[in-house]
Amino acid sequence: MIDVALASLIEDMIEKAGADGVVEFWQRVGDNLASRMGKEAYLGWTSFNVAVREARTAFSIEGDVTPLTDMAITDVDGDVVGYLYAMRQCCYVPTIFRTRFAVGRMSPADKAVTDEYNENVHNIAVCNFCVFHERFREEIAKNISVSGNSLACFLLATRGWSGETKISSKNVAQVNINEDHMRALLRNYECVYALVMRGARIKGER
Amino acid sequence: MASESRMPESNPFVEIATHLFLEDIATKVGIAGLNNYLVSLAKNLAGSMPKEEYTTWSEFLSALSTGQSILSTFEEVRPITDHCMSTFHSPFERGWREYAKRVGAFAPVHREVAQYYNHKVRPTAVTSVHVVLHTFREAAAARVHVGRDGVRYEPVASAWVDGDVQLPEGPTLEALLKRAGISRTKLGMLMRNHSDVWLLEPA
Repeated sequence: MIDVALASLIEDMIEKAGADGVVEFWQRVGDNLASRMGKEAYLGWTSFNVAVREARTAFSIEGDVTPLTDMAITDVDGDVVGYLYAMRQCCYVPTIFRTRFAVGRMSPADKAVTDEYNENVHNIAVCNFCVFHERFREEIAKNISVSGNSLACFLLATRGWSGETKISSKNVAQVNINEDHMRALLRNYECVYALVMRGARIKGER
Repeated sequence: MASESRMPESNPFVEIATHLFLEDIATKVGIAGLNNYLVSLAKNLAGSMPKEEYTTWSEFLSALSTGQSILSTFEEVRPITDHCMSTFHSPFERGWREYAKRVGAFAPVHREVAQYYNHKVRPTAVTSVHVVLHTFREAAAARVHVGRDGVRYEPVASAWVDGDVQLPEGPTLEALLKRAGISRTKLGMLMRNHSDVWLLEPA
């Protein structure tokens, strides 16, 4: 029930600190949680992707994550420096339905925080939880190394519970993925992100 | 919450994030401030849910045990007597297990705020989530009418996932047990494998 009560908490926080204050607050919570998750190291992408599939990585706290191993990201030398990862269901969707069945409707505070984030930080959020989620992933990626290189996370695309989609033009260009591929993935997944080796010179990076 | 309910399970990650959210609040407003936040959010949640009315107490008990009442929205409620209710699992258990597995030991602030609540309000909280749970049930019960009467909630005992039990002592407990219609031995039996025992009676 605390997940449903979270909306009330956010309403209260908006009154005290404004929607921008809640965005900052959520991001700080993302930093704090990531800092408590500890470091991880993997010999290579194969062992990391197996760990993701078996829910052994810090990313697994979010729920079931699918490594899209047919969608590798390569560098200018043709070496694999990253992959796409996707979640069939957004972590927050069960809470949205729980709120629908318990309270009757989602609090307007959810949209207020989402809009604030989209307008002033990154136009990718489909619910207030995306604000926390994006920062959390970015921070835990720094604590994970593959073949001795720490990772960077780019949130690429999201689909909200009512069907609206967001694709981050900035991030898809960064990892050289076609937006049509994203649209195709969003038919089956609700959240798609890329993990790449930090500092890699990605082939075709725009 | 009854098994036929449409209510899906939450993703424990959202609960973990909420706990971290509360921990961050505590660093700014202290234990008393966190207690106020928890009480306020539980009251707001109950206040945002629809009111209920039942013709008879037995109709209300039936709604409770089939997950149709505001009081059984988030948990499976089993009436032991007409006025004594039990909860099999804490609605926070999955979140706590996932927190312990993925993040580590629960931050001390969750116990500290429960101690503050026990001192200031009533001695029935083991962790912060009990502050939410007791306040929510109290505020939710106040939104229910059975016949012409309102409904009053009072906690009897709470057990946390780790087996830590919190309950009032001495005459206060005896009076609660009498109103609930159960013995001290029966309470001990219930607390072996239930998360909460509580009282509902006409107000």
